[in-house]
Amino acid sequence: MSGFIRKRLIDDNAALVQLLGLCPLLAVSNSVVNALGLAIATVFTLVLTNALVSAIKPIISKEIRISLFVLIIASVVTALEMFMNAYFHELYLILGIFIPLIVTNCIIMARAESFASKNTIWLAIKDGFFTGLGFALVLVVIGAIREILGNGSLFNQAHLLFGEFGKVIQWQIFEDYHGFLIAILPPGAFFVLAILIAIKNKVSK
Amino acid sequence: MSPFIKIPLVLALVTFFTSGLLVFSEKATHDKIAQQKKMLLLESLKELIPDELHDNDLTQDSLLINHPEQLGHRKEQALYVGKLNGKTTVIAVPVTARNGYSGDIDLMVGIKNNGEITAVKILEQHETPGLGDLIQANKSDWLKQFPSLSINKVGIKNWKVKRDGGQFDQITGATITPRAVVEAIKHALEFQHEFLTTTHKEDTIK
Repeated sequence: MSGFIRKRLIDDNAALVQLLGLCPLLAVSNSVVNALGLAIATVFTLVLTNALVSAIKPIISKEIRISLFVLIIASVVTALEMFMNAYFHELYLILGIFIPLIVTNCIIMARAESFASKNTIWLAIKDGFFTGLGFALVLVVIGAIREILGNGSLFNQAHLLFGEFGKVIQWQIFEDYHGFLIAILPPGAFFVLAILIAIKNKVSK
Repeated sequence: MSPFIKIPLVLALVTFFTSGLLVFSEKATHDKIAQQKKMLLLESLKELIPDELHDNDLTQDSLLINHPEQLGHRKEQALYVGKLNGKTTVIAVPVTARNGYSGDIDLMVGIKNNGEITAVKILEQHETPGLGDLIQANKSDWLKQFPSLSINKVGIKNWKVKRDGGQFDQITGATITPRAVVEAIKHALEFQHEFLTTTHKEDTIK
């Protein structure tokens, strides 16, 4: 793994090390399918906004750069929301309010400001993809842990993302499981994230 | 170029292009979104008004009602009437529960002439993911306890969640949402009773 990728996936992981984008990370990670839906949308947004920000790099002046980033990010997310509404209607109904919330995900702003506005389009796209992937991995892992603990299942409702194939991979691990409710509730998200950060710190040392 | 010209110019230019992106997306998705919504509606109506109970075009036989007091409506909502040989067999009543956990819950209740529920559909809700949103049919079986029940069978006193001394299951960790939905369904049933008595009068006039 090259240093560029490793840095974005592990060493400087947006969620575990920089602790950015915690709002959607904690809110939507109560099942793998929800987490995966938001993860895909976030990666997509990051790649697009990074590319656009990098493309207008020559005309950005320091004083108005933040307004320009906000303009671009907000309109890309809104457009993405419309396309999801049109082509993945059922998933859109589930992810609902979390799609517009991507606008407030500071990872996107941070990458625009610290990387995309200073690098070539190709590098910016790569940066967006791998930073997003790092975030997506943490999102899905937290989603899996919370779903197993809270619901005793994995990939529940996967048909909303994958259609018929999703029904095959739905897996009830523990039959007749009564659920460890706190794992699905918001506090569970904090506990699981804290444990992951602790493990990451231990391993990195 | 002086910054007094350059900055507004850049802002205007970027705003122009981002607005263009939005206009394009809106144009590209508008019809498809409307079509998806209509498909979802017809799909839900299929369960509310089963094929064997109607032979009319449901999208034609609808009327707009607005009962903020009784059914919690915030604007006009469509009520669909299923007819067999010209006679009303089932109506699908739109009802809004305003006392959910986060925002309104819009639902549709299909009711046969004898007051029995055919099905209940959640059209829109913003309840807590993983808890309150288990009222949705694709997330849990909670809604399946209602079909074929009527106020006569259950008794008006028992038409409550178990926590309140009634007969309906609540959802672990979420009582407010099921309570709101159960209550909304009751209002729909009461409305259907009044609705039938008034339309029958109109029918005799014709």
